[in-house]
Amino acid sequence: MSVPVVWLGTTATFAIIRLGPLNPAAAIVGPVNSAQAQERLARIERQLGLTEPLHEQYLGYMIDLLTFDLGQSWVVFPGQETVSLLATFGPRTVWLGLWSVLIPLFVGIPLGIYAGLHPNTKRDYAASVGGIVWRAMPNFWLAVILLALLSLTDGLFFWNGWESFLVETRLVGAPDLSNLTDPTGFLRATKQVLPAAFVLGSASMGNELRLSRTAVLEIINENYVEMAEAIGVSRRRIIGKHVLRNALIPLIPIITSEAYLLVGGSVLVEVVFGINGIGTLFFEAMTAGDLPLAGSLMYVFILLTVTINIAQDLLYTAIDPRIGYEGER
Amino acid sequence: MSGDRRVQADSPAVRWALGAVVLLLPELGAVVSFLGTVSPVAVGVTAAGEAIPTLLSRETIPNQGVFVPGSGWQGPFMGLSPALAWGLRVALVYAYAGAWLAWLWYGYRLYRREYRTAGWTPRDDVIDRFRTHRWGQFGLVVVVAFFVLALFAPTLGPTTMERNVYEPFSYEITTYDADAGEIRSVTVGQANLDSISQGEPDRNVGPLSYDRYGRFHPFGTLPSGQDLFTAVAVGARISLFIGLLAISISGLLAVTLALVSAYYGGWVDLAIVLVSDATQSLPQLLVVILLSVVFSGTWIASLYSGGVLLAVIFALTGWPSLWRAIRGPAFQVAERRWVEASESFGVPPGSTMRRHVLPYIVGYLLVYGSMNLGGIIIGIAGLSFLGLGVSSPTPEWGRLVKIGQPFVTSVSWHIAVIPGLLVVIVVTGFSALGDGIRDAIDMKTDVGEETETSTAASGAGG
Repeated sequence: MSVPVVWLGTTATFAIIRLGPLNPAAAIVGPVNSAQAQERLARIERQLGLTEPLHEQYLGYMIDLLTFDLGQSWVVFPGQETVSLLATFGPRTVWLGLWSVLIPLFVGIPLGIYAGLHPNTKRDYAASVGGIVWRAMPNFWLAVILLALLSLTDGLFFWNGWESFLVETRLVGAPDLSNLTDPTGFLRATKQVLPAAFVLGSASMGNELRLSRTAVLEIINENYVEMAEAIGVSRRRIIGKHVLRNALIPLIPIITSEAYLLVGGSVLVEVVFGINGIGTLFFEAMTAGDLPLAGSLMYVFILLTVTINIAQDLLYTAIDPRIGYEGER
Repeated sequence: MSGDRRVQADSPAVRWALGAVVLLLPELGAVVSFLGTVSPVAVGVTAAGEAIPTLLSRETIPNQGVFVPGSGWQGPFMGLSPALAWGLRVALVYAYAGAWLAWLWYGYRLYRREYRTAGWTPRDDVIDRFRTHRWGQFGLVVVVAFFVLALFAPTLGPTTMERNVYEPFSYEITTYDADAGEIRSVTVGQANLDSISQGEPDRNVGPLSYDRYGRFHPFGTLPSGQDLFTAVAVGARISLFIGLLAISISGLLAVTLALVSAYYGGWVDLAIVLVSDATQSLPQLLVVILLSVVFSGTWIASLYSGGVLLAVIFALTGWPSLWRAIRGPAFQVAERRWVEASESFGVPPGSTMRRHVLPYIVGYLLVYGSMNLGGIIIGIAGLSFLGLGVSSPTPEWGRLVKIGQPFVTSVSWHIAVIPGLLVVIVVTGFSALGDGIRDAIDMKTDVGEETETSTAASGAGG
């Protein structure tokens, strides 16, 4: 199932870039107003293979992708191999993505469970409505506001302001991932992406809050919970052993599916927080007219989402024995 | 209806129609001139419409004026201050919209009481359930307020786009010169330069304040000195237009494909699943960026400042989520007896689907459409925050946030904060309305399966 999906996705990308109204070579050269530019245009067209017939272009493109020959950058980092660019920019995005999956887990789910255990109280309403509003916030706006708030914190919160809190970091910029094994280096890299991860994870946080609340509410009314109550099992034990464990089952696939929303969202957040990861690279490639680079990045994104989807299906089957492959509807 | 002489003069329908005509009168000029701009044949209609006075307009209730010490405000409606005159106009517009809604509601009740033969239909229950759903009603109020803001954008703003943004040096306002003690005129462009908001206390016009030319700014001014509220109102219009167009196109696609896959099943369904999976495997925001750059030079990008292009892009990338939501219900309805029966009577597949399956999945479409619309509004804002999408002189909420970003921590905080807050409120409203409709339709009993709807409208898209 995932092979044709990747094939269709890359074909669509090919069609957009090669058949679209924007000629990739012309986008690289920019305005053609001299003989030199004309010559350069023709040369790049030949190098990109734009002069060949379409089916050969398509075949070459597909073979290149399959062998992971992703070509090179033309405008943003002229002459650099896409693969080496990915090696430099990729880890930052992965690091950011990792934290933006983890933060909602540790904030959203406990809040949701709390709301579900105290249904229809004021605190439950506050948590639920807060979750919905939180989810409705555009990431870019939340990022702008959070940056402003953090830069205003000098001497108010975090002792002496966010930048000097615990370890010295700048508010905006890419994390230094070179020495993660060292505790200070780890802390510094984490703190650097923490605000961005918080923003990127905000939507998932709202979702997870809401879903865990529903799950807890459903399970707390199950017969076996009532039964346990009737035979005198303590409330703490009921919640810990019966409610939480069962409530978490439906949440796990949702967490993975949200990981793939982050792929798209990372563009805006990376741009605002100045983290030059793949998202920023894609954005710069697009605005500078570096279409070959953008197309290759798109292929990487497609692979990423498909991999996450496969992982999610595997998790589903591993965790919940009731779900198999045949009854999919 | 009113031209039919067989209907008695005092019949409720005629009275209701008369009421509707009375309600239409204050805005007749605007409606006629709008129809004139839409239909290509009637060129004279626009002029005729503009000749008819419109009650709720800036000409009838002007808010621009000049303050002369000793004699008060000259220019605004009835000598009120510009702030009050503007507030009055806004209140009247919303009251007018409210009156229309109330009249339509009354008309529906009237129809139910006097004309409908059935004493009860399932739809009555839906409405009754919605009437007790406070959260959904909150959403409805927000959505209606947003629609009115978009619809009446030129009337609601304290000034117009032509005067304020497009040709500020072609228009003049009068001002009282305290040094000379006389009234002189100044171009709007010049006045804008003196009412900029750039983060310093002496160069800032905040929300609910006047600039030095006696112009009232409900949301303050932009760094260029233009009025923020006017920009926000016009931005609401373009967001709503793109959102509605995109959701209509993707809804149409989704319904057609869902009906086709429910009717034929098997290979056809599998092919559509494949295409939809492939579409979803491309991260939406990135494809939207890619497409809007690739198509930026073509004719379609020039339609409505790129709005039409954006709507098409959002529709082409967004239909799988809608389709996924209605595919299950469509399958379940397609298995019902009446579909089988209609097939055995020899009704062609197309009309079987339209008549016997479509009505059951329209509710789902409404719910998911409402939720996705919020996501699209966030997406548009995110794109224009990046400098893509809606092209520049046309204001857009995301671009306003971008413009205000350098000044968030200063006294000019309003530029970035207010449009962002509005996005949050509007998106929350759409998702609350979706929740309300979902609970009112009571999907559990209707088709038997409840799917989680919450992932649709989230900020992750932008």
